[in-house]
Amino acid sequence: MSDTAEAQSNYLLQTAGFDARFPNTNQTKRCFQNYVDYNRCINAKGEDFAPCKQFLKAYHSLCPNAWIEKFDEQKENGTFPASFEP
Amino acid sequence: MNINLNRSQFQAHPYHLVDPSPWPISMSFALLIMAISAVMYMQGFPFGGYLLNLGTILVATGMSLWFRDVVVESTYLGHHTEQVKRGITLGIALFIVSELMAFVSIFWAYFHSSLTPAIEIGGTWPPLGINTLDPLAIPLLNTILLLSSGAFITFAHHALIKGNRRSAILGSILTIIFAVLFTALQYYEYAEAGFTIADSIFGTVFYCSTGLHGFHVIVGTLFIGVQFYRLLQHHITKSHHIGMEGAIAYWHFVDVVWLFLYAFVYLWASSGLL
Repeated sequence: MSDTAEAQSNYLLQTAGFDARFPNTNQTKRCFQNYVDYNRCINAKGEDFAPCKQFLKAYHSLCPNAWIEKFDEQKENGTFPASFEP
Repeated sequence: MNINLNRSQFQAHPYHLVDPSPWPISMSFALLIMAISAVMYMQGFPFGGYLLNLGTILVATGMSLWFRDVVVESTYLGHHTEQVKRGITLGIALFIVSELMAFVSIFWAYFHSSLTPAIEIGGTWPPLGINTLDPLAIPLLNTILLLSSGAFITFAHHALIKGNRRSAILGSILTIIFAVLFTALQYYEYAEAGFTIADSIFGTVFYCSTGLHGFHVIVGTLFIGVQFYRLLQHHITKSHHIGMEGAIAYWHFVDVVWLFLYAFVYLWASSGLL
């Protein structure tokens, strides 16, 4: 990692952390739950409500991108298997 | 001078060494045809359906002819000594245990799918969009029908042991009537349910478990029916009726499996209660 001025970025690098609700190595449910919670959050509070971003960051970190694309496609088609009602 | 022939005069043991029979080998071929044709049918191979029908007919015929021979050997030829009775009773018990293991495998699939529901079905059980059957409607009635039929067949058995032919016949008839009613109601439920076997893992485990059970109900009803017919034909005595006892044991097993089905597949999984 070079120490030039351009390399000093404004990005805050952090992981999704530990969530005691999902203690095991298989984090599939956690990815799914965060996707669902993000969508329920923006349904309830609107897309600009800042705390909803926590869920967005979590699922973008945890979920494989292919899954996110599939979830988004299901959401558009109305075939997502969970309800987004808050 | 004793002119009566006694078994001990020509056989120094209480067992039945059966005469050569074509049914075991015939049954093994029939079962092989049935198994392979079932796979052919399910995988869409040509003539799978026809061969499956053939296989099923061969198995049913083989069973009928084999059991017919057992009736001849016991009722008409007198080969079933007390020791033979014990052996057959143990055999029937072990057979029921093997059937139990088949249900264990289906219940395993059910609990695997329902206790940690996959995200593909929304992480909930029942899955979103599945309209489960009301457990307090026809399924409850079916529970009562099966429990009552179990009581009727036990009543018939006790009457048989006491030598009360009329009550044994009456109890058997009531058992069969309630069994047929159960089957008819299940058929109605299957026709009117809001989901099919293809509707996610829920549909699969629901119809596989209740379907396997329903098949056993039909087999059990036939078993009792045959024994009822033999009762009418005076094949049966109050102290020698292991076929009837086998049918009764099988029927109670079918009843217990239903109770587990009702508790875990109907009640626990219904949309209203979870």
